Amino acid sequence: MRENKRIFTSFILLAVMLILLFALNVVNGSRTVTISDIPAVLMGSEGGTAYSIIWNIRLPRIMIAMILGGALAVSGFLLQTFFNNPIAGPFILGISSGSKLAVALVMIFSLGAGLHLGSFAMVLAAFAGAMAVTGFILAASQQVHRMSVLIICGVMVGYICSAITEIVVTFADDSNIVNLHNWSLGTFSGSTWSDVISAGSVVVLVVAAAFLLSKPIGAYQLGEAAAGSLGVNVLRLRIAVILLSSMLSAVVTAFAGPVSFVGVAVPHLIRNLMKTQRPIVMIPACFLGGAVFCLFSDLIARTLFAPTELSISTVTAVFGAPCVIWIMMTRNK
Amino acid sequence: MNEKVTLSARDLSAGYGSKVVLSDINFNLVEGQIISLIGPNGSGKSTLLKTLMGDLPPLKGSVSLIGRELGNLPRSEIAKVMAVMVTGNIRPEWMTCREMAASGRYPYTGLLGKLGKKDSEAVDEAMELTGTSDLASLYINEISDGQRQRVLLAKAICQEPRILILDEPTTFLDIRYKLEFLDILRVLAEKRRVTILMSLHELELVRLVSDRVICLKSGHVDADGGKEVLHDGYLRKLYNIGENEFSDYRII
Repeated sequence: MRENKRIFTSFILLAVMLILLFALNVVNGSRTVTISDIPAVLMGSEGGTAYSIIWNIRLPRIMIAMILGGALAVSGFLLQTFFNNPIAGPFILGISSGSKLAVALVMIFSLGAGLHLGSFAMVLAAFAGAMAVTGFILAASQQVHRMSVLIICGVMVGYICSAITEIVVTFADDSNIVNLHNWSLGTFSGSTWSDVISAGSVVVLVVAAAFLLSKPIGAYQLGEAAAGSLGVNVLRLRIAVILLSSMLSAVVTAFAGPVSFVGVAVPHLIRNLMKTQRPIVMIPACFLGGAVFCLFSDLIARTLFAPTELSISTVTAVFGAPCVIWIMMTRNK
Repeated sequence: MNEKVTLSARDLSAGYGSKVVLSDINFNLVEGQIISLIGPNGSGKSTLLKTLMGDLPPLKGSVSLIGRELGNLPRSEIAKVMAVMVTGNIRPEWMTCREMAASGRYPYTGLLGKLGKKDSEAVDEAMELTGTSDLASLYINEISDGQRQRVLLAKAICQEPRILILDEPTTFLDIRYKLEFLDILRVLAEKRRVTILMSLHELELVRLVSDRVICLKSGHVDADGGKEVLHDGYLRKLYNIGENEFSDYRII
């Protein structure tokens, strides 16, 4: 099978890239770790600077970039399937911005009230924001069937949510405002092992659930009517897909703020690399691809103008936005 | 009659919400026959097909599928008995023709949809029958309309249906493809005893291929019978063409 060979090779390629970028991310940074430091780190000679930089700062950050990158790409793939539109994604449809606004509001109110809410509450808030925007987009899609209108709708909702977030953040009088501001631009910095565990467990569960739906999702790609005639309960599937994708983008926003274009760019690149759209291949491949894309982007964000850091969205937009243009150019031929 | 009834409608009314499009529809379709559904635009052909497929709940009366009421059957059960060829415009970007055909095995595969040996054989057979074996590894969006129709037919055949419903399957095909397509349907009806119900606009094709013709007009069955219903006088009436109008033309 020619196709299967191509898919297998592509998976190997992605795995190699992931390992390479993982290593580069461990080694590079404001304090360069040399190969000779590695044994000491591995042996766990407590107290060494290299040890604590790697274990407490770089590794959790790498892990979170991989997990959330994967989550974004899978979320994008699910949304594209749902809307039957290759440009759909959590950022473009304004879902990330909805989450951002909800999280910012919850953060500011809880800080104002002297409460410290855990990451779970943040995920919940992000999910509520995501669902609110998704609900709006769904309602709009009932009214207008033109996909371009839907996308513009999403982009505009995104702008509105971002603007309100800006206002809220500007007027929040709290010492945490700097953090809040950084977060609202999108960053993987400051991640801890406990973040990795909370985000990781949710993402793994949701992606596994999406993977188990590969078969009906594949039928849904043939169109709603065709899926129904093959025996798919279309309504139930649509609800499941929208919940799963919103959950994924909510987790990302809760932990890293909005991260742009990964959800559109990665599935597109993966489809073109593997030349398939079978969900059973696409879901794991998108996860892997998203991890690679975000590790790469985060490496650039951290090191390009070190010690100044770029926001992750700045980098992902530079590489991701051209993909959107590419898709539009090749589709409307 | 000892012919087996596969699909029947009893006092069926169909439509959308309060808008009744069809009423008093009654028929029994039997296995191994090709039944054509004709009638002017807006006579309710598509609504009837949608109701028979289970996409639209009947407003009144019932549809039964191999003796069981359609509304009480789960989608997954219906899919093993009835296949529908939808001529949608959705063209997945990176899907091979074989994958498209194989998606018809959906009702029979397990949780992740992996094809077993029996499934693969059924796919090969269906592609053979529709003359699409050579297209297997081509992508669905790089073949012609005529070829795509046949791949979609292969997909429907993979479902191993006893009833096959098609909505204007020959539109967009040139005459050679139309004839090839109808020829495959003939084989399905004769060899596999499938009941084939389709809506068609081309009356000359209806006459070529049908065992039975059901004519719809303004939401009612206007005539139901063999090919003999297809004569100039009746068709003029069915399509509201006056005797002096277009008198240079024969309708069929």
